[in-house]
Amino acid sequence: MAKKTVNTIKLGAFVLSGLFFLIVLLYMIGKNSNLFGPSFILKAQFEDVQGLVPGNNVRFSGIQIGTVKRIKILKDTLLEVEMRVDKKMEKIIRNNAFASIGSDGLMGNKVINISPSGQPAPLVAKGEVLNARNGVNTDDMLQTLSKTNDDMAVIAAQLKSTVQRINNSTALWEILNEETLPRNLKRSAVNMQLATARAAAMADDLQAIVSNVKNGKGSAGAILTDSSLAMNLNEAIAKIKGVGETADELAASLHAVIKDVQQDVYNGNGTVNALLKDSTMVTKINSSLDNIQKGTHSFNQNMEALKHNFLFRGYFRRLERQKQREAKKTMAFQEQRPAPADK
Amino acid sequence: MALPVKTTDFLQETGGISVFTGRFFKEAFKPRYEISEFLRQCFVIGYRSLPLIGLTGFIMGLVLTMQLRPSLIEYGVESQLPAMVGIAIVREIGPVITALIFAGKIGSSIGAELGSMKVTEQIDAMEVSGTNPFKYLVVTRVAASTLMLPILVMISDAISLFGSYIGVNINGITSFPLFYTQVFNNLGFSDVLPAFVKSFFFGFAVGIISCYKGFYSNKGTEGVGQSANSSVVISSITIFVIDLIAVQITNVLNLN
Repeated sequence: MAKKTVNTIKLGAFVLSGLFFLIVLLYMIGKNSNLFGPSFILKAQFEDVQGLVPGNNVRFSGIQIGTVKRIKILKDTLLEVEMRVDKKMEKIIRNNAFASIGSDGLMGNKVINISPSGQPAPLVAKGEVLNARNGVNTDDMLQTLSKTNDDMAVIAAQLKSTVQRINNSTALWEILNEETLPRNLKRSAVNMQLATARAAAMADDLQAIVSNVKNGKGSAGAILTDSSLAMNLNEAIAKIKGVGETADELAASLHAVIKDVQQDVYNGNGTVNALLKDSTMVTKINSSLDNIQKGTHSFNQNMEALKHNFLFRGYFRRLERQKQREAKKTMAFQEQRPAPADK
Repeated sequence: MALPVKTTDFLQETGGISVFTGRFFKEAFKPRYEISEFLRQCFVIGYRSLPLIGLTGFIMGLVLTMQLRPSLIEYGVESQLPAMVGIAIVREIGPVITALIFAGKIGSSIGAELGSMKVTEQIDAMEVSGTNPFKYLVVTRVAASTLMLPILVMISDAISLFGSYIGVNINGITSFPLFYTQVFNNLGFSDVLPAFVKSFFFGFAVGIISCYKGFYSNKGTEGVGQSANSSVVISSITIFVIDLIAVQITNVLNLN
């Protein structure tokens, strides 16, 4: 009988342990879907729930706080998701929090993420409808990707033709194969460097000059900056103007004189007219000039004869010496020297 | 030899088991219950099977984890190992393996025990002495196996998950809280309840088939061996058939 009791006790322990594990299992699962703890209902409205089903998790800032209880179709463009959320969250979630549908990993189950907006607002009430925000939708993502792929295909085709053209171009390959080109380019670069250095130096100089000019140094500076010079220039210009006016008057007088002379010439008054118009006079003058020439020649002969005459030889020698003395003194005297020699 | 080869034999067997099942239900709910014999059978069938089932459960959990690991690493979802093993054990491996081991151990013992009682005419003697042999021998055993198998399955699940935890920690490091969070997060009632319910049917099938085979054992010592053998074989096949039906029902009811 005692053995039987012990066996029954063992059996009881065995059955209880089995049931215990069953209860633990059911409780753990139930706890995950908030079946046993106190909870309250929150709602959110979406246009598309993207495959969300009752039982999917609800998270608040990433923490599991409940599950989706039911999804109702309100109308053809609006679905309402009812969420069973842990009662404790009633004191935490504010009514301006956002609900969005996301997924647990890239391919995982759908979840509802409730995220706080950060703005002050009253706490949620039971059954309140939260603002919905569209999360990243894989379908949309794939559609965008497919569009991108199309664009990429077009770009790739164009790139292909470009590369083909580059490959077929002999000129380009010649340039690429040219070995002297890089050297020349390098030299050019060096030259460019030198040129720019010089340009920089030049610019510095220019700057210095400009600053000098600004400060009134040098003639350009004086021109640009000296006000007294400007006044002088003004005066000079005024004088030049005056001179010009005088010259005008002079020219007018000259004009009158010339006019008179011209008139005289044309009207046959005076010597000039006679000289220009009278042809007989020309022959007369010619014969006179001939006579003068002959006379001069004879006079020269007479003078030579006189020089060699003993009576006048002394005078001429004295005259000669005096000339040599005075030759060094002035240019004017030198010019006068031949006159007595001619006589 | 174990399986009925001829169609008539098969139909006769099926019909016999059906009648036997009907008789079980008729007798089971009639008063004068054999409580103490029922408890003794529970002890023998349930408690005594625990070490065997615990060992197989532990090994199954451990081995399954280590076998799944390379494939999961290949797909980069090694972290999902506890979840996957948990679902596999709770939904399928736990109930079926436990029921098969149970059929091997209990089916053969019931078949042999009742067969030898039949052969030695103890059952007939019991009837003469005024005790209802069906009530005393069959109802207690079938009820005990029906009720004990689900409990064994639950304990086996727990031990298997523990084995799986060790298996996960042989190659990697996962804390126990993380392990069980992962397991339970991925389990739902739809995983546990159908498995729990179907283990009642497994237990009932093992009990009723073994009792039938023993109760209607052929004369002679050969008959005892035969009834023990066919109890195990037919019970095992029936377990798989019930499993198949159960998964269909779960699908139809949209429980998974």
